[in-house]
Amino acid sequence: MHSPDLYALRENFNRERIMLCFNGPISRSLIEEIGNALKNYLAADQALPAAALDVFAAYIEMTQNIRHYVARRGYPEVETAATVVISRDERGRYIVSAGNLVEVGDGHAVMSRINALATLDKAALKAVYKEQLRKPRDPALTGGAGLGLLDIARKASEPLQAALIEHGDDRAFFSLRAVI
Amino acid sequence: MQGDSYPENAFELFGEIIQWVEDYLAHSADSLRVELQLLYLNTSSIKAMMDIFDLLEDAHVKGCAVSVKWHYDKRNERLAELAEEFKEDCTFPFLIASHE
Repeated sequence: MHSPDLYALRENFNRERIMLCFNGPISRSLIEEIGNALKNYLAADQALPAAALDVFAAYIEMTQNIRHYVARRGYPEVETAATVVISRDERGRYIVSAGNLVEVGDGHAVMSRINALATLDKAALKAVYKEQLRKPRDPALTGGAGLGLLDIARKASEPLQAALIEHGDDRAFFSLRAVI
Repeated sequence: MQGDSYPENAFELFGEIIQWVEDYLAHSADSLRVELQLLYLNTSSIKAMMDIFDLLEDAHVKGCAVSVKWHYDKRNERLAELAEEFKEDCTFPFLIASHE
């Protein structure tokens, strides 16, 4: 058997109904290129314009959140690795997932934020979103508006799901999953 | 203004536009008509657009004739919803026009 085992990888992608995936350091231009591919796939898949826009938005907000985080933490380029997957569930709904390494403490903070958002209905999410939109820019956010998670939560058809996998050192793998 | 906007730091991109609007409204202007045909905006761009609408709102309150016309493709209701959310915070004329 060759390594890597492309056939097993392909079978796995097919089984998980993965349309598009990426694993590695993610640059500004890569986000754009993968985003263009995603738009084309969604068009070929005959996704409704609103659904296609929601999937694209969730992808952009997740990947840009990772880039903002990496910049804020000052991680070197090789550590900007992100794992991004766009797939469909058994009901044909689009799922946007992304994960990256974070400081354990930051991971716990974002997990509790997501759990708090999960208790809010669409009207409450809108209120929190508008409140955040009205806050003055935080220079520490390096251009992010602190709205990304809220925006994804508003576009999702189910509460966001997140996981934090610790491996015993200071870093943990954080992943976020949005069903559109 | 028209098209998609999703830079990581929209303030870098929109800074000059915001400045232009601010300067224009502060001096000379007695009217400003803004025509928009925006597609996807990331949240960073939405925040920058809100800054522009806030400037228009301030000018409107001071008696300047400002107005916005937001054009969108009727096949994508998300674009109308985005416009509606901006419009909620504005009291100046804000027309949302659908196109085939």
